[in-house]
Amino acid sequence: MTVRTESPKRGISPSTLLLPLGAVLGIVVVVVGLSFLADKHGAQNLLGAIYDLLGNPTAATAARNGVADQVLAKLVLAAVALVSGVGGIWLMYSTVAQLVSLFRPNIRDRIMPWVFVVPALALLLGWLVYPGVVTIIRSFGDDTTQAFTLRNWLDIFKPDTLGILFNNFLWLVVGTGGAVILGLVIAAMFDRVKFEALSKTFVFLPLAISLVGASLIWRFIYTWRPAGQPQYGLLNAVWTAFGNKPIDWIHFDDFHTNTFLLIVIFIWLQTGFAMVVLSAAIKGVSTEVLEAARLDGANERQIFFKVIVPIIKGSILAVITTIAIADLKIFDIVYVMTGGSFNTNVVANQMYLQAFQFLQDGHAAALATVLFLAVLPVMYFNLRNLREQGVGR
Amino acid sequence: MTKRNWWLTAVVAVVITACAGTTASPSPVPTGAPTNPPATATTGPTTGPTTPPATATTGPTTPPAAAVPTVPTGYAELDAALGAAQPDKGTKVTIQVQWIGGEGDNFEKGVADFEAATGIDVEVQRVGSSHETVLRTRIEGNDSTLNLAMLAQPAAILAYGAEGKLVDVNSFMTGTKLADEHPATVGLYTDAAGHTYGVPYKVDVKSTVWYPIKAFAAAGYQVPTTWDELVALSNKIVSDGNGNPWCIGMEAGTATGWQATDWLEDIMLRTTSLDNYNKWITGDLKFNSPEVLHAMDLAGQIFFTDKFVYGGPEGAIAIHQTDPMDPMFPGTPPGTSADWSGFTPGCWMQKQATWYGPDFFPDVKANPGSQTIYPLGTDIGLFYFPPIDPQYGNPALGAGDALLVVQPPDGSAPSDSTKAVAEFLSLPQGVQRWIEAGSAISANQTTPDSWYAGAYKLSIAAGIVKNATSFGFDASDLMPAVVGAGAEWTQLSQWIASGGTSPTAQQAVEAIDAAWPAP
Repeated sequence: MTVRTESPKRGISPSTLLLPLGAVLGIVVVVVGLSFLADKHGAQNLLGAIYDLLGNPTAATAARNGVADQVLAKLVLAAVALVSGVGGIWLMYSTVAQLVSLFRPNIRDRIMPWVFVVPALALLLGWLVYPGVVTIIRSFGDDTTQAFTLRNWLDIFKPDTLGILFNNFLWLVVGTGGAVILGLVIAAMFDRVKFEALSKTFVFLPLAISLVGASLIWRFIYTWRPAGQPQYGLLNAVWTAFGNKPIDWIHFDDFHTNTFLLIVIFIWLQTGFAMVVLSAAIKGVSTEVLEAARLDGANERQIFFKVIVPIIKGSILAVITTIAIADLKIFDIVYVMTGGSFNTNVVANQMYLQAFQFLQDGHAAALATVLFLAVLPVMYFNLRNLREQGVGR
Repeated sequence: MTKRNWWLTAVVAVVITACAGTTASPSPVPTGAPTNPPATATTGPTTGPTTPPATATTGPTTPPAAAVPTVPTGYAELDAALGAAQPDKGTKVTIQVQWIGGEGDNFEKGVADFEAATGIDVEVQRVGSSHETVLRTRIEGNDSTLNLAMLAQPAAILAYGAEGKLVDVNSFMTGTKLADEHPATVGLYTDAAGHTYGVPYKVDVKSTVWYPIKAFAAAGYQVPTTWDELVALSNKIVSDGNGNPWCIGMEAGTATGWQATDWLEDIMLRTTSLDNYNKWITGDLKFNSPEVLHAMDLAGQIFFTDKFVYGGPEGAIAIHQTDPMDPMFPGTPPGTSADWSGFTPGCWMQKQATWYGPDFFPDVKANPGSQTIYPLGTDIGLFYFPPIDPQYGNPALGAGDALLVVQPPDGSAPSDSTKAVAEFLSLPQGVQRWIEAGSAISANQTTPDSWYAGAYKLSIAAGIVKNATSFGFDASDLMPAVVGAGAEWTQLSQWIASGGTSPTAQQAVEAIDAAWPAP
C-alpha cells in the first residue's frame, strides 16, 4: 500500500468517489466473513450451494448434511478466513488511509500514524492489558466469594510450589544455556566448513516442529519396554546394549533426570534459532578486525573469545533473552510428556492444572502473575539491548 | 444463510474448483468421530431416523421399538414434547459430552428416537479427553449456546451449582420422581440446601477384574472369591512359571494415577466401614490414618511383590492404560490368533471398570470398529474383585455420569425443549440404546433387568450391584479436584513407579493431606 507523501491534488477526482465504497466493501467483507466463520455449519452450507451451482443436487444435500468430504469443508473455511481476514483488513486500511490523505498535509501527517496504530492498540488493550490487569486482581480474590484474600499468594510458598519454581529455574538455566552455547559453537564451527548451508539446515530444521510434535517424537526416544523385550525406544536401546536394565526415563526423577531429558527436547528445538542469529552476527564481523587480530599474533581461540564474542555480544544477549522467555513460559513439553507428574511440573503447567483441573482460579491467577513478574526483567533487558543496538531509535 | 453464500461463492470458487478436481465426489465421513452429528447440519427436515413414535403398541416389559417413554411420563415438559402436537418441533438443544467413538455413537443412538418423536433437534457435541476443560470455559464464559452437559465429577457439578451457573433440576422435575428412581445417586449431586444440580444418567461398576477364561480353565485356575485366594492365585501363577499374574497399565498422560485411586478405594471399602470411607471423602479421615495406610499396604502387596506385575512397578506406570491386557492374548503379535490351546498369557488379571471392553483388545485396536475375535463370556471374562475383611461384606465401587442443566446467562429459565431432553435422559429410555449395545448401565433403578439379560458384561455388573452389601462412589471424584485429581494421582503414581520407596507410603499420604484445601 502506498501512502502518498506529496501534497494531494485538491478537488475531487473520480477515484476519490470510490473510496467510501471501498471502505464499506472492506467492512462488509470482514463482517460477513466473521459471521460466516462463527456459523458452525457455514462451510457445509456453502459447499452445498457450490454443488447446487455445479448442478449436483445429491452432492449438495450430502454436503449440507455434513457427510461430504470434511477436508473440503475445512478448505472452504480456510479460504473464507483468508479472504475476509487478509483481504478485508487490507481493503479497510488502504481506503481509510486514502481518505485521510485527502486532508491538508499538516493535519494528515498528524492523523495518519493513528490510523494504523489505533486498531493494534485496541487489540492490545482488549486482549492483553485488560486480561492482565484482571488476572492480577483475581489473584487476590477468593475462588467462591471473590473477597480479598492473600491465600493464593501464601500457597505459592508451599513446598510443592517451591519445587515447581525450582524446576522452572532448571529450565531457565540449563535450557537457555544449552541452546545458546550449542548454537554459538555450531555457528562458529560451521562458519568455515564446506557444506555450511546444508549442515545448518539440519540444525535449523527442528525449529519448524511444534513443541507438541517434538514431544511426541521424543516420547518414542524415551519409551520403555519390559526387560527382555526389544527396546524400540532409542535411549533404552542404547542403555540396555551396555547391559543395563531398561529405565522408564520420563518417570525417573532421581537427580531430576526426567526434567533434564525434557529440557533436551527444548534445546534440540531452540539450538537452530540461536545458531541462525549468531551465525549471521559472526558473518557480520568485519574481516579487517580479524586480520588485525591475527597480525597482532592472536590464536584462533583468542580471536573467538576476545574478538568475535565481544563484537556479537548484542546478538548473544538478544538470543539469550528470547530463549529465556520461551523457557520461562514452557508448558507444552511438560504437559505432553508427563502432565507435570514425577517432579517435572513447571509454573505454566501448574497454572493450567489449577485453572482447569482443580478449579482454583485465584491460585492459577497468582501463578500467572508470578510468571509475568519473572518474564518482566528479561523483557526489560531484551528491550534495552535492542535499543542499544539502534533498534527503535 | 444460503443467500449470503451466493456472492461468497464467487470469491472462493477458484479454490473450490481446484480442490474439486481431486476430491469432489462426496464420500462418507472417514473413520473417527465427526465433530458434528450429521443430522444437525440442516435446519429443514432431518435425515435421521424417521420412525414414527410407535410407543403405544408395546407392552410394559419388552423394550419398545423406539426408545422413547410412554406418555404420561410423570414430567410435564416431556409429556408435552412427546405429544402429537410436537410443540417443540424445530427447536434445538445442545449437549456437550465426553464420549467419542463407539461410546459417542451409542449415546447419540439413544437420543435419535427421541428426536424423531419430538421434532427437537438435539445437537450432541462430542469433545473427548479435553471435555472438562472445554466445558469449564463455556460455563464460566457464559456461553449461551450450551444447554446441557454430561459430567463424571460430582464435586465439579456441585461447584458449578454453588457459583449459580446451573439450574436446580428440582425447579422443573418436581415431586419425588427423580429421587425415587435414583435413590443411590441423586444425593451425590444435591447440596446441603437441597438443590439438585445433576440428573444421574449412567453408572459404572469398578470392582471388576478382567481375565482370560480359557487360559484359566487350561491351567486349572479358579476365580478367587477372597483376598487370600487372590494372593494365593497370584503366587501360584508365579511359581508355575506362567508369567506375571497382573496386567497393570496406568499411564494416561495428564491423568496418570487415576487407576491407583480406584485400587485404593476398592480396598478401603473392603477393609473399613462405609462410614469411614465417606469421612475419607470429606477429609474428616486423613490419608495419614491407619485405615488408608493399611489399604496402601495391601495394594502394595500386589504392586510390589516380585514378579506379580507385568513389567514390574515401573511397567505399571509406563504402560498406557489402553495396552495392559495385550500380553493376555494369543498370537504373535498378541491379538492375531484366537487359538488359546498351548498359550500361556504374559499376564492374567487386570483390575478395571466395566466400561472397559473389546475396544481395548489388541485385535480391535489394530482394526478399529471391527468385531473382536475374543467374545466376552467365553474367551475373556470378568470377576468380582474379592472381599478382604468378612465383616465389611461385599462392597461395590462405582462411578457415574450425570447431566447438568446450564443456567442461561440472561437469567431466564431453560427452554421447555431443554427441560424435556433432561427429563428424557433421566429415564431408562435415555440409556436404552446404549444398554442394547451392551456397554452401559442406567442410573435409573426402575430399568427392567431384562434389558441387561443378553449382555455378559452387564449381567456381571448387575449381579455385583445386586449382591453388594454396600456401595461406595468413586472417592477421588468426590474429593476436591486438587486432591482427587491432583495430589492423589501424582503421589500414588510416584509411589508405585518407585516400588514404594520414593515417596514411601507415609510420605505420600502426608503430601496428599498437605494438598487438601484449607477450609
